[in-house]
Amino acid sequence: MNRPVSPHLSNRAAGSPLAGVLGILADAQNSDGGWAFAKGGHSRVEPTCWALLGLAHTGFAQPGMSGGLDFLRSQQLPDGSWPTTNGMSAGGWVTSLGALTLAQFPANEKSVHAALQWLSDDYPRDSSRWQKLLKSLSARKQHAAHNDEFRGWGWTPRTSSWVEPTAFALLAFAAVSAKPAEASAGFSASGPAALPVAPELARQMSDRRPLAIGLLYDRMCSGGGWNCGNPRVYGVDGDSLILPSCWALLALGDTPDHPNRAASLAWLEKSFAAIAGPGSLAVAQITLESYNLPVPLARRPLADFSLADLAGQGTHVAAWAALALNPSRVWPARFSQSSATTRQSQT
Amino acid sequence: MNLRNRQLIPSFSRPPSRVLIRKVARYEEDLLGILYESLREFALPVQDKTVFLKANLVGHDPRGFINTHPAVIAAAREAFRKLGAARVLIGDGPALDRDTQAILESVRLTEFTGKLGADFCDLNIDDVERVLLETRASLLKELYLPKTVLGADYFVSMPKLKTHHWAGVTLSMKNLFGIVPGSCYGWPKNILHWAGIDRSILDINAAARPDFVIADGILGMEGNGPIQGNPKQAGVLLFGDDPVATDSTACRVMGLRPEKIDYLNRAGTMLGHLEVPKIQQLGEPIASVSTPFAVVSEFRALRETGTK
Repeated sequence: MNRPVSPHLSNRAAGSPLAGVLGILADAQNSDGGWAFAKGGHSRVEPTCWALLGLAHTGFAQPGMSGGLDFLRSQQLPDGSWPTTNGMSAGGWVTSLGALTLAQFPANEKSVHAALQWLSDDYPRDSSRWQKLLKSLSARKQHAAHNDEFRGWGWTPRTSSWVEPTAFALLAFAAVSAKPAEASAGFSASGPAALPVAPELARQMSDRRPLAIGLLYDRMCSGGGWNCGNPRVYGVDGDSLILPSCWALLALGDTPDHPNRAASLAWLEKSFAAIAGPGSLAVAQITLESYNLPVPLARRPLADFSLADLAGQGTHVAAWAALALNPSRVWPARFSQSSATTRQSQT
Repeated sequence: MNLRNRQLIPSFSRPPSRVLIRKVARYEEDLLGILYESLREFALPVQDKTVFLKANLVGHDPRGFINTHPAVIAAAREAFRKLGAARVLIGDGPALDRDTQAILESVRLTEFTGKLGADFCDLNIDDVERVLLETRASLLKELYLPKTVLGADYFVSMPKLKTHHWAGVTLSMKNLFGIVPGSCYGWPKNILHWAGIDRSILDINAAARPDFVIADGILGMEGNGPIQGNPKQAGVLLFGDDPVATDSTACRVMGLRPEKIDYLNRAGTMLGHLEVPKIQQLGEPIASVSTPFAVVSEFRALRETGTK
């Protein structure tokens, strides 16, 4: 991963294993301040969020960071949500990602609160009373066994709850109460210690959390881990996937110990050695480290992927690699030791 | 591609479609030779064009019957090159797992194609363009679709022959769910389910109608498809210049009645030919390759009389 560090980065990053990946991110920033999924493409909310999170606390130059934050704020819709691509008139799951990203940086309270309010008001349609009635009358009601008393979030408004958007909404909720570590040299933003939330919004968020946590556990695959949210269809168990499992585990990190969480951590540890793609590998590493668990040997370590490999798979993958390689990252948070203790007692 | 040609033509004024069936027992056969000769029969206008092969890459597939087989994809790529295409791109936007690299590794695609680099497009994260859905078959008014697909000169849908627990079958038309980008609509693309699977298939195919179909039926899937079904050896490759006609023919090969599949029946009125008299059958006769595919109980009505 040796590569000259970008002029946008401070010398602090030069020569470190992180430098090449940060160079990919720095060089891919568009003139509007945002990032596309691939260098030269149109800036979008999701890759911009990941790039900002990946570049935070690395010494990335303040003008570049400010440009990214400005782009992100400029894309927020009047109702507080973010669209997944420019021109869309309705927000989607990236609202969670936008909120948790801005919550890492100071002076974004208004944007973050508007996003959290939108999330608190956004209920998936599948668990509405009307849909429950329709489902109870449908011949297909038993084919995907879900407990519809739980409610999470969908990828798009007024659709169904799925594991990853539910996990990201929980991570956004957690971000306003998380306390980021002190800033590292070269980047002045230490992030807000905590964002105070109005009592009514806090109550709404508090109401949603247990429903969403319950949904995640309800959708866990047999044997631990998650897929998109269909653990069993037509009586056949689905296979767990790395990324949904990691996002769910990260979302559940600040919740009380639970045997299903321990089982899922054990599944992730067992699966780690077989991970093929650098994106999944990076996120799995981050997840295990967040739980203070040792990272098993990888089939192909992250540092062995070429920069071209990483850049070719998108800004989000490069950003996940940057987070994994950055010991100073402040997001995702590291959880208490008890999580690891629980996992070990289960296995 | 046909996005700009607007191929919404009533069946009565549409010329006959052509569908070619080749018997191919194994993926180890000379697929390049078979595909090249088959494509030549259609005299496709691909000279100096950019061809986009939309494979069906759904997920991890250790037993090799979920995704379009990489040997077929690689052979199609080489065949189009031999026919003079300037560039042949391969791509898909997997619906359930955003780690496309992991899926590609599982499928072993580059073992057959060689290094693809920028010739593979992860449609889930491609730049997108707003497309108004003028057919309004579903509740959707617009979709944001990948620029790589919309910008290709020649668009080829390459499905696997599979039954599907929600749509009955998943063939070249249902395969187009994979061009709807996950980065806009999620994993899975649940908005299409809420808009109605059958009707979404119609809207997407009207907006971005494939110019050609190469369907992998050497080893298909029956039962609880598109992922959790059972392997089904059908021993065929299908080629067609009309997605509706090719899918209808594939259904008949699978022992299913296409007119009983909602989206195919509707597609037969404006997107292509459903009825046998309007389809010029080339290669093997359907009867010589037909093999009944099992379906989940809700789709028993699809079976042709006399099949289980």
